[in-house]
Amino acid sequence: MDLNARWDKVLHDIWDNKSRSLLVIFTLAIGIAAVGLINNTARMIKRDMFGDFAATNPDSITLYVSPFQKELASSVTALREVEDAEAMRWISAYTSDPKGERHNLHMIAVPDFNKIHINRITGEAGATSPGLRDILLERNTAKGLQINTGDTLTVEMENGNHYNLKVSGIIHDMSSQHYSVSGEALGYVSMATLEWMGESPYYNTLSILVAENGLDREHVLNVAGFARDRVIEPAGYKVFAMSINSSDGAPGEHWAKKQLNGVLLILQIMSILAIFLSAGLMVNTISAVMVQQVKQIGIMRSVGATRRQIILLYLGYVSVLSVIGLAIAIPLGIIGAQWLNHWGASFMNYNTGPADLPWDLLLLQVGLGLLMPPLVAIFPILSGTRISVYDAIYQYGLISGEGKRGWIEKLLLRLRHVNPPIMLSLRNTFRNKPRLAFTLITLTVAGAMFMAVFSSYSTVQNQVKELARYIAFDASIEIPNGANRYTAEREARRVPDVKVAEGWAIENGYIVHPNGTEGDRIEIVGLPENAQTIEPRIVTGRWLLPEDTNQIVINEDLTARESGVRVGDEISIKINGLERPLQVVGIVSKHMLGSRIYMNNAQLAKFTGRYNQVDTMRVLATPGALVSPAKQQEIGKGLEKRYEDAKLSEGSSKTRYNIFKSMDNAFNILLAVLLLVAIILAVIGGLGLTGTMGLNILERTREIGVLRAVGASHFSVRQVVVVEGVSVALISWLLSALVSYPFGRILAEMVIRTSFGTQAAFSYSPWGLLVWIAVVILIGVFASLAPAHNAARLTVREVLNYE
Amino acid sequence: MEKINSRSIQNSTITDQSTDLIELRDLRKSYQSPAGPIRALKNINLSLRRGEFVAVMGKSGAGKSTLVNMIAGIDSPDSGEIIIDGVPIHRLNEDERARWRGLNMGIVFQFFQLLPSISLTKNVSIPMEFCNRFTAQERKTRALSLLNQVGILDHANKKPSLISGGQQQRVAVARALANDPTIVVADEPTGNLDSKTACEILDIFSGLSQQGKTILIVTHDKTVAARADRIVSIADGELI
Repeated sequence: MDLNARWDKVLHDIWDNKSRSLLVIFTLAIGIAAVGLINNTARMIKRDMFGDFAATNPDSITLYVSPFQKELASSVTALREVEDAEAMRWISAYTSDPKGERHNLHMIAVPDFNKIHINRITGEAGATSPGLRDILLERNTAKGLQINTGDTLTVEMENGNHYNLKVSGIIHDMSSQHYSVSGEALGYVSMATLEWMGESPYYNTLSILVAENGLDREHVLNVAGFARDRVIEPAGYKVFAMSINSSDGAPGEHWAKKQLNGVLLILQIMSILAIFLSAGLMVNTISAVMVQQVKQIGIMRSVGATRRQIILLYLGYVSVLSVIGLAIAIPLGIIGAQWLNHWGASFMNYNTGPADLPWDLLLLQVGLGLLMPPLVAIFPILSGTRISVYDAIYQYGLISGEGKRGWIEKLLLRLRHVNPPIMLSLRNTFRNKPRLAFTLITLTVAGAMFMAVFSSYSTVQNQVKELARYIAFDASIEIPNGANRYTAEREARRVPDVKVAEGWAIENGYIVHPNGTEGDRIEIVGLPENAQTIEPRIVTGRWLLPEDTNQIVINEDLTARESGVRVGDEISIKINGLERPLQVVGIVSKHMLGSRIYMNNAQLAKFTGRYNQVDTMRVLATPGALVSPAKQQEIGKGLEKRYEDAKLSEGSSKTRYNIFKSMDNAFNILLAVLLLVAIILAVIGGLGLTGTMGLNILERTREIGVLRAVGASHFSVRQVVVVEGVSVALISWLLSALVSYPFGRILAEMVIRTSFGTQAAFSYSPWGLLVWIAVVILIGVFASLAPAHNAARLTVREVLNYE
Repeated sequence: MEKINSRSIQNSTITDQSTDLIELRDLRKSYQSPAGPIRALKNINLSLRRGEFVAVMGKSGAGKSTLVNMIAGIDSPDSGEIIIDGVPIHRLNEDERARWRGLNMGIVFQFFQLLPSISLTKNVSIPMEFCNRFTAQERKTRALSLLNQVGILDHANKKPSLISGGQQQRVAVARALANDPTIVVADEPTGNLDSKTACEILDIFSGLSQQGKTILIVTHDKTVAARADRIVSIADGELI
């Protein structure tokens, strides 16, 4: 194809300056790909995760009921307000992984595996309905335990009996948390198998789907209350707890929906930032192109080109690069989105669908990719074509501005002991201030975001440490049916190294609103006097006193749901079916473990009739201090053995280290995504600096030639350029450091609000400063290496020809 | 296709030299420098006839390039008038001057100033594109014809960096002729060439002059100036 001379020039300019063209293409591709990646990831996750979840027909609320017959579900379904209700048997047991570590195993039995309407499960391999002595394993459990269909799983019941069950199928249960995060196994068995294992053939859980307003929390709680008061309790059963299965108490929604939406919002903000930086970088790079082409512009003008023709020629140049950038960005965005979706699926236990791109997102990317570059590039193009033919041909390459020294130059002139090449680098840095400002803004924003991610991490860590106040034990163990406090504590103290053994009583309750409606389940903790395994942070009011009776302390998780509750209020809590007026004397910080009320155990026992009974044992080796993770593990194992021997519990212990580890895993996912975005921003910043350095070298070709002519070595020329690059990088670091506090604070607040639904004390991370200074110096060096190499390569003859 | 050489110069028709094509009236130009203003042209009055081959001579810094840049519309005067074929080009804006220059004047620079990324053919055809002259096919044919005239056809598809300086200057001459201008202005066209090549280039200019083109060459070389019909000397911004 014989192109006209103008298009020929455009294409050859692109091809002959590959590194510069690639810089523009990558700049654009990264920005547009970031938009595609983030928005498409959000869409794919919503499609796959929320779609899968909706397909399971999730319950509105779960009721934990005393053992009942399956017919109770039909009776509840008969209520006008209830669309469907299903009975389930939930039972806890234990199993071991290939390393011999013991894990909790939750087994679920339903009346008919072929007729599950609520919280549906889907078969992945083998049978979908377990036969006698069979078990269906949740896919993550099977993966974690390295078990396949046909293998045998050994199950240890609470009573210590062991049973071998054949894994007849692998299923997918969207409502379950990932085995690697929770460490808890999940399997489905038939009621006949449970009977064979010595369990009574009763159900204990009722999943309810309300008929209308399924997303209205108050309505769902009211319907559950009707079911309890009109059907379940009149039939002689007792409702122990009512629970909405989402972290923020929104019925029918995935437990992680709110958090995920928050994360996606943060990512979308960052994608907009990426586009702005990309646009900025485009301006910078096209400015470089225009500077480099000044003489050619002059030549074209001298042979008859009008300014409009030149402008159109360079817009054509930008458009060609944009199309190439877009062609890279679109598949890159899709591949990245699919990768992130897979990554999310591995943690959130959902199936990923095909990697595709919807029309609206494609149009957004195409629109941004084709319109944004010319729209921003028009400014340097207009500026670059404004030059007269005379200046373009005869004046270009001559540094002007002597005598127009600013305060920075004047300041630098006073530094008389600095080695001349370094001084030259420092002066060069400040020569073109608008360009310097532009580069600094790009790098500063990238740096500030990078540091903000570190501060967010630090803040999250602090928030997790805050939770440590409420799990201030080395190890703990549940006592399923409760035990005498003195016996339980005595046995715990017999575990080597245990100095403090503290039994806590746990009861379920419900807040009763003044209008008679009930809230959802609240955990009521009965504390011993002078509890040592809790270090509460009082937000308002005070902590419990030994003489307190009806005085309680609540946590911020409760106030988040019951926003009207204040210190001094009297609230009505239904415990064991009776309403108890209790006075709030203090509010403690967020636990992330749900709504909780603390009161003296002696008083709680009066409400429940369980005098001197405890449900969980918490131990410490050293009062007021914690031991190493390995020691915690050892104490935990000792506690398990001792309690098993004493017939108190067959359960697994939990160590504080393990609880933190699983929390860290969850938050690290979020922070890794943020860090990924910060790295993208850093890459854009680095490209910006590379463009600027290339531009600076180009404009000072003659000066470099003079340096070479007077005997400057390759090393000296490189040193001048690299020092300049590093100087810009360090200035940007300083500016980033200045704005990193507000940036970090905003990002950390968004992360905490998203993850915890609360506010947290901001913790600034100096590590961000240190890591970024290392990163930015590397960016400075690498961004100036290529221009430095080019500058050192210039010969005196080439420089003379330059004019 | 006829090559422009000494023989063709002898055979070419001499145009009517009786009318003034270029007229400069009271032309003044100063430049700012860190040392203060420099008066590059001081009250210049000059007329050039149609078809005349004129050499502007002077030492470095005398103002000869400034004078030619004024005539080429590359630079504009502080005061005075530049009338070329009845057009007051000092009153035109940059774009009007560019279009006028593209159609009426060819420029040859000392350092050739070819566009480095495109072939010699495209370098020659680009002025035709910018001025919307001829069809695409005609532009190509004409570009090849001009390259043939300056003896560089064999290299037509090469890029400028792959040919010698003398060859580049020939291409620059071909480009200057692309839109068949009345005037060709050359600023030290042989300043960067060896004597043999310089002679060949000057032959081309002589041939163009014989064809009726008005040629204005800036030089400080007396042997170059000797090839012109008329020598205009300039020193310290004044005609002498």
